[in-house]
Amino acid sequence: MTWRSPLALMRDALRGQRARDKELRNLVSNLPYEGLDKAKQPNRHFPSNAIKTTKYTLLLFIPMNLFEQFHRLANIYFVGLAILNFIPVVNAFQPEVALIPICVILSLTAMKDAWEDFRRYQSDRKLNNTPCLIYSKEKQFMERRWKDVRVGDFVKVVCNEIVPADLLLLHTSDPNSVCHIETANLDGETNLKQRTVVSGFLFEPESFTGVVVCEKPNNNLNHFKCYEKPDKERAGAGIESLLLRGCTVRNTDHAVGFVVYAHETKSMLNNNGSRYKRSKLERKLNIDVIFCVILLFAMCLVGALHFLWLQALPGIPPYLVPDSSGHLDGPSLSSFYTFFTMIILLQILIPISLYVSVELVKIGQIFFITNDTDLFDEETDSRMQCKALNITEDLGQIEYIFSDKTGTLTENKMVFRRCSIMGTEYPHKENIRLAVLGEPESEEEVIFNQRPQSLQTGWSLDAEDTTPRDTTQRRGSRHRSKVAGIAQSDVAFSSPLETEVIPDKKLLQQISRAESSSGSRKTDPYLDFFLALAICNTVVVSMATAQRRRSDNLRYEAESPDEAALVYAAKAYGFILLARTPDSVTVRLPSGEDLVFKVLDTLAFDSNRKRMSVLVQHPITKEYVLYTKGADYAIMELLGTPYAQHHLDCYAKEGLRTLCVTKKVVSAKVYESWLVDRQRALAAIDNREELIMDTAVQLETNLSLLATGIEDRLQENVPDTIMALREAGIQVWVLTGDKPETAVNIGYACRLLEEEDLLVIDGRTLTMALSPDLQERFVDLAKRCRSVLCCRVTPLQKSRVVKVIREKLKVMTLAVDGANDVNMIQAADIGIGISGQEGMQAVMASDFAISRFRHLKKLLLVHGHWCYTRLANMIIYFFYKNVAYVNLLFWYQFFCGFSGTAMIDYWLMIFFNLFFTSAPPVMFGIMDKDVSAELLLGVPELYRTGQGAYTFSTFWVSILDAFYQSLVCFFIPYLAYQDSDIDIFTFGTPLNTVSLFTILLHLSIEIKAWTVVHWVIMLGSVALYFVVTLAYSAICVTCNPPSNPYWILQSQMADPMFYLVCLISTVVALLPYTFHVMRNSIAPSPIVQARHLDRLDPSEREQWIKEWRSF
Amino acid sequence: MMASSYNAKEEDGHPSGASGHGGPGVVKSKKPDNTAFKQQRLPAWQPILTAGTVLPAFFVIGLIFIPIGIGLYVTSNNIKEFEIDYTGVNMDSPCYTCAKNFSWNNTTPCTCSVDFTLKQPFESNVFMYYGLSNFYQNHRRYVKSRDDSQLNGGRSLTDPSKECEPYRKNDELPIAPCGAIANSLFNDTLELFHIDSNGSRNAIPLVKKGIAWWTDKHVKFRNPGGNSNLTQAFLGTTKPVNWRKPVYELDPSDPENNGFINEDFIVWMRTAALPTFRKLYRIIQKKSSTTPTLPSGKYTLDIIYNYPVLSFDGRKRMILSTISWMGGKNPFLGIAYITVGSICFFLGVVLLIIHHKYDTRNNSADIPN
Repeated sequence: MTWRSPLALMRDALRGQRARDKELRNLVSNLPYEGLDKAKQPNRHFPSNAIKTTKYTLLLFIPMNLFEQFHRLANIYFVGLAILNFIPVVNAFQPEVALIPICVILSLTAMKDAWEDFRRYQSDRKLNNTPCLIYSKEKQFMERRWKDVRVGDFVKVVCNEIVPADLLLLHTSDPNSVCHIETANLDGETNLKQRTVVSGFLFEPESFTGVVVCEKPNNNLNHFKCYEKPDKERAGAGIESLLLRGCTVRNTDHAVGFVVYAHETKSMLNNNGSRYKRSKLERKLNIDVIFCVILLFAMCLVGALHFLWLQALPGIPPYLVPDSSGHLDGPSLSSFYTFFTMIILLQILIPISLYVSVELVKIGQIFFITNDTDLFDEETDSRMQCKALNITEDLGQIEYIFSDKTGTLTENKMVFRRCSIMGTEYPHKENIRLAVLGEPESEEEVIFNQRPQSLQTGWSLDAEDTTPRDTTQRRGSRHRSKVAGIAQSDVAFSSPLETEVIPDKKLLQQISRAESSSGSRKTDPYLDFFLALAICNTVVVSMATAQRRRSDNLRYEAESPDEAALVYAAKAYGFILLARTPDSVTVRLPSGEDLVFKVLDTLAFDSNRKRMSVLVQHPITKEYVLYTKGADYAIMELLGTPYAQHHLDCYAKEGLRTLCVTKKVVSAKVYESWLVDRQRALAAIDNREELIMDTAVQLETNLSLLATGIEDRLQENVPDTIMALREAGIQVWVLTGDKPETAVNIGYACRLLEEEDLLVIDGRTLTMALSPDLQERFVDLAKRCRSVLCCRVTPLQKSRVVKVIREKLKVMTLAVDGANDVNMIQAADIGIGISGQEGMQAVMASDFAISRFRHLKKLLLVHGHWCYTRLANMIIYFFYKNVAYVNLLFWYQFFCGFSGTAMIDYWLMIFFNLFFTSAPPVMFGIMDKDVSAELLLGVPELYRTGQGAYTFSTFWVSILDAFYQSLVCFFIPYLAYQDSDIDIFTFGTPLNTVSLFTILLHLSIEIKAWTVVHWVIMLGSVALYFVVTLAYSAICVTCNPPSNPYWILQSQMADPMFYLVCLISTVVALLPYTFHVMRNSIAPSPIVQARHLDRLDPSEREQWIKEWRSF
Repeated sequence: MMASSYNAKEEDGHPSGASGHGGPGVVKSKKPDNTAFKQQRLPAWQPILTAGTVLPAFFVIGLIFIPIGIGLYVTSNNIKEFEIDYTGVNMDSPCYTCAKNFSWNNTTPCTCSVDFTLKQPFESNVFMYYGLSNFYQNHRRYVKSRDDSQLNGGRSLTDPSKECEPYRKNDELPIAPCGAIANSLFNDTLELFHIDSNGSRNAIPLVKKGIAWWTDKHVKFRNPGGNSNLTQAFLGTTKPVNWRKPVYELDPSDPENNGFINEDFIVWMRTAALPTFRKLYRIIQKKSSTTPTLPSGKYTLDIIYNYPVLSFDGRKRMILSTISWMGGKNPFLGIAYITVGSICFFLGVVLLIIHHKYDTRNNSADIPN
């Protein structure tokens, strides 16, 4: 490195800053500059491709981590108190010793953070050193590492390799200039997507002299725009030419791209960590912590009574120690100091280890939830995933569930069921039988044996004269982006089910009749219908994979399951989609002929239009034909000729999803003029999306209809799950984009609608109902209905419904979605994604991801109940424990002139909280089991009753209990040792022991199920107390002034009085549990009754549950 | 904070398996282990607290506690205890003058005598205590005001801990023993005389050995230097300001009972837990099995009155007590055991009734809707 003046460096840095901040970036090839100084590199301002996800650096770890940790108020509080202890006039303990608890807590957290950061560092390093190929001066691709990739490089990616940075695709080995990628790493979608080479570009790295102008990096995975200035004209390119970092190249031998973003790649920008949600319980907990602070202040103010006590003294007693100058503070000043001393002394009233324990408990709970085999889906080999890690207990608090239909209640495995062509219904009865049998595997033989015989027709094959044309058709239809099971990356909607279409005999006859008569080149609606099914989609045909399909090794990679279903349906009738390139579609006709349609344009699906179109040129007639496919209502409004709604309604009533397919012949003139608009829209860099959509709408008019019905089967156990959830007192709402008829049908099928009090509301009405002036009344009405069904609602409306209910009724809401209603999922308190067939977006945005709807039952009724009661009881116990223990010190103040003396050795106090009594509550929070899973599932009503474990009253009852117990634990030893020669720390020993026993026995009573772990931890804690205290008392002669508890416990343990005091204090402290016992006998709560049932043997229990159910 | 990064790995957005995606690899099922622990099916004991299950416990507690209580109560009652307040608050009290005319600097000690009568003889060894009331030996700053390593014969003899302030140094000389506790050492001298039937005073021998904890005397408290010449060992230190004589001259009668290991001093240094306390002063040993240690009759307590208590409204007492396995006289524990035992027994009966009335019904419990 040559020396450069600081001024030049600064100027360069500023220039770099400016270059990075500009809306548009100008990038040039690095090639001409290779080997030059860094200062001369044109792209030097843009960050290199090395990634660093670590939060900390080795040197700055401690300050940075502390800074992070001090974001938590409790930590500041405890550090503040520790610092306060360094002020001599107020300190209650040795200053250094007072630092120990907070240091332990901070260092535990820091160690955990360091370990996690180290893991991130390791994975970063592995990733940065992954090899890749970069074009170099030597006119060939050299092997480099990912971190060497810079903006402006040419990178070659071969098949099955992962793309190292965001690349503008310049060249591929594919003759059609496309590159297939799989984005599973980014969004979980395992189907293949096509990317096309930037049009009009010849790949010669050496002669690449143009400037690539691209936008500033952003995190939108589905949007990108740039254009090149190869000095000639502006050629635009969008997301269809961008290979994103993290994608895998498939089915393409190799591809070469120009690096536009390194490091600031879209995938990196999208990676914004996990979300932090605060659970309802945690919010309540924080309020109670504030109550504790108030209580603490009140107790400290009592401590300031010191003042009165001092004033009552007639003279200066020898036990009042003046300061070093011999001056004695006045009563008021000394009371002021006492106040702070008391805060230090009683600080653990605010439980220092509560937050850490809560987090430990949640980790434990998540461990158990994710390890539950009942929530494991064999089919997709996926476990339940917890994405939000701190709201497990909210699962036990749910009052409203909002569910989507498709992919949530239903399988989202579409099967072509019925169709209506030219007003004639073809019911496909054979398929219905098949669906009812529901044994797809055994039916495989039946499927293809009815393939129509090839018929000779007069159609001739047309040689395709495809001219390379700018095309943007391959814009992935992003609405229903989709995934087939996470684990089975090689299957995208090609499981046997979709292919099971048994052709309707009548329809087959129609086709053969039409085919034989179409020698006249007339298009026939029947042929059109199936051609439309085969053509009008974005299904990718892949052949490079293993021979999974029998006769023909075709595999269809569809972005949505209904597309796959339709293509397979067409195939069943002999219209086989053979190949799809950006410019053409090859379809084999039943006659065996292959027709190559020139694709002029694809108007991709978007959620506003709710339809997609493909504009092709018919190889025989040379007509421009627009095939459009979409939701029925999206199509109906565009129909040129009115069409009887009858069949569609009939399909909907059967719960079928209806799609309409239309055809329109576009005249050459219209096409030409439209094309001009389209081109303009495509080249635009601003508002490109809107313009493109406008042009699409422009063309999609005056269509003529062909219709179809698709079935989406209910997932297994959906009715049972919904029943159980409703018995648990949860209101279940279904929000769907389907037609009312379909929705109602599904509603009945899943037993959502069996009550009279049903509210069905459609999207348009909902818009009105959600208007500010009607909101209240709508919510009021909805509250009274047992079920609510919203149909034809948009994703935005779904989220608004959730938000309104959540805010107006102040209830806990849960949203389940199997596709991509990210809005709804995020609007609810808990979002659950079903990682099913379609859309990983919901799963990505969710707090919990399950694979089947039925898992919801166990997740809520069992894990939700457990997590909530466990955590609630643990938190209450924690407050109780700290109050009970700290109050011992408080009562003692009345006997030591409110001077802030602790009669327990400070180390033992720390150990008491950190070791002797910390493991049992954590174990209690992770492992306690009030009622067995079987019973919770069998009697869903228990879910509701379990929701009141942590309320205002339970908190205060436990605080009162703590006060009572501390009174007992203090005053029984006090009275027993009154006016004796006992010294301070000897007096503290029975107190400490009594409270240990009381606190642990109190927990023992709370523990509902004792496993080996419980015994070990409880007995271990007691043993630990005695071993540690005995050892400490044997060693500490002068180690911890002024207490130095040398031989104190030993002498106490040799004294029978010690045991007698401990025994009676513990018994009296726990005596109020008698009320508890009486209540359990006289008026047992449902939980207690359930526990009685739990003790019966399983068969008897079944009997009881059944008997009870029959009421 | 802790939980949010629990599975940080997945969230980092790294393409997982950057290199090995294409590799064949054995597909391992992610199915969780079906173990009793992971599936939360560990065998468990699930007690339910109902009248039926706990009532044996109540009866057992009752049956155990009541005898213990009676035993304690009887034992406590058998302990003989005599207590006399010699503070001298009232005009008619013999020590009134001493109490009034007190000053730490008095060179001539004030003496007074209190007469008392023991109605019953004390049979076994008698422990003689002095008791102080309203003396907050447990005051936080008082408790701290000592240097245990100095008392342990450590190096800080000449450089006492800062905790001792302001009783750390006097005239630039380190104080030994330093601190407020030592400074306020109880320094009354008590002597006990038995008045014969013929009116003569017989001094009762008071044993001053064995009044402190053995571990204190032999481990916690040690004289510095190790040489037998205590004057030499304490050279360069000065006595606490309130003391009349240095620490190495505390007990002129027994050279082994001087310095930090003086037992009266050790007893005082073990600060009392409560503001009203007693401290062992002397032991009167039983001489023969035939005569009581202290026969009934008249006694005189001679007091060299040095210790002021009126400044804090305190009281001074002399206590004579025999002792049992449960320590001094305290009927509380016995009464408490009897009471709690009875309550438990009573509750046991109540629970028995409840059990008969309700518990059978529970097994056929129908869960309310």
